Amino acid sequence: MSWAAHQFEVYAVEAHLPKKMVGQISWFAIFFGDFTPDFLAKFWVYGFNYHGHHYGASKPYQWHRGWPGMGISHTLFFGALCCLGIWAWKHNRAWTIGFLLGFGAHVITDVNDSIGTMLLFPFSTLNWSLHTWAYAATIKGGKYLDAAAYFSSLGFMMDLFWFFVVLGSWKVLTREFWRTKVVPADPHVWSWLGRWLDERGLLALYRGVFFYGVCRMIAWTTWAHLVARPVINGVRHNGYPWDLSWTGPWWVQHVTLPQVTPWVVLPTALILLAVVYWVANALWERMESGSIRAIAWRNVRRKTT
Amino acid sequence: MSEPSRPAPPSGTPSNPWVPSKHVEFLLYATAAISYVGLSIYNKWLLDWIVGPFWLVAWVWGLPALVRLVRHQPVRPRRNPLEQAE
Repeated sequence: MSWAAHQFEVYAVEAHLPKKMVGQISWFAIFFGDFTPDFLAKFWVYGFNYHGHHYGASKPYQWHRGWPGMGISHTLFFGALCCLGIWAWKHNRAWTIGFLLGFGAHVITDVNDSIGTMLLFPFSTLNWSLHTWAYAATIKGGKYLDAAAYFSSLGFMMDLFWFFVVLGSWKVLTREFWRTKVVPADPHVWSWLGRWLDERGLLALYRGVFFYGVCRMIAWTTWAHLVARPVINGVRHNGYPWDLSWTGPWWVQHVTLPQVTPWVVLPTALILLAVVYWVANALWERMESGSIRAIAWRNVRRKTT
Repeated sequence: MSEPSRPAPPSGTPSNPWVPSKHVEFLLYATAAISYVGLSIYNKWLLDWIVGPFWLVAWVWGLPALVRLVRHQPVRPRRNPLEQAE
């Protein structure tokens, strides 16, 4: 799984929207799209202890990404279903397409760990994984071991990569960008929030996800390498050892699910990313008339009530 | 002809509550990050997707709002004066 990368993706997607969608895609939709897969699946992955009993998935990796399990929450198919639901409910293309892009970014980024995602579900239940770093969520280790493993491996590099992608498009974090591109795409939500917060507060809210990503990356990395004193194979270490090799770190148990050969994963993931953008582009125009009709119909209802 | 610039009203009055300068705002963001990282290293429950963004809002918006509250200035966003006139 990826950690801060999922927070940075939201801004990366916002900064790299197709030209005709700039200033028209809901930032909240991108955020919720990116956030939904883990919101649905992750709580039970770590589970919780109550009166000395652990409640949670017996095989966290199977539950999180496999089938049967909640692996469906990390599939493009499920993202498409969610988008259909949003469209049927609101007829709002800013939210529908925003959700699709955020969801797609999450699913495709997660092919990097050793479990990967079921990219071609429901046509295949095989997982697609690049094995860039080890999937480390276990019942015994819980969130701590998972974080330690991630921030000691190429997962940390993945977070840094997305961090620099956002920094490369730093304008996405500016007040000007927020005013001219983010707020106009979602005027109702921002104006509703504006009943309580002034502009500084709203801007902080917009930047808050990036802030959270940066801080969690620093905090977990600092804890894993400067604070923690783990015992690995009977030896006490001052901090978890770094291991920036492929499928690292060496000190976590490697778990896998039935998978396709890793060689086809990168080209397929890139093709699917292009397909997601192509679909978003193609639907954008077609959804316009539906959106206009929905707004007109809403206005009619407001006048009559 | 250039547009006439609007004179800035005196600061610190109810019509113009205290607004932090750019430097103060930067300081607010920086201290928000330092305090959040510093505390969350030892209190992992803070590293949560709700707490994180809320922390920033509380720090960057909440602290100045607290200052305004102490100075008996309005805290909630003011409506556009033109709207109020209507």
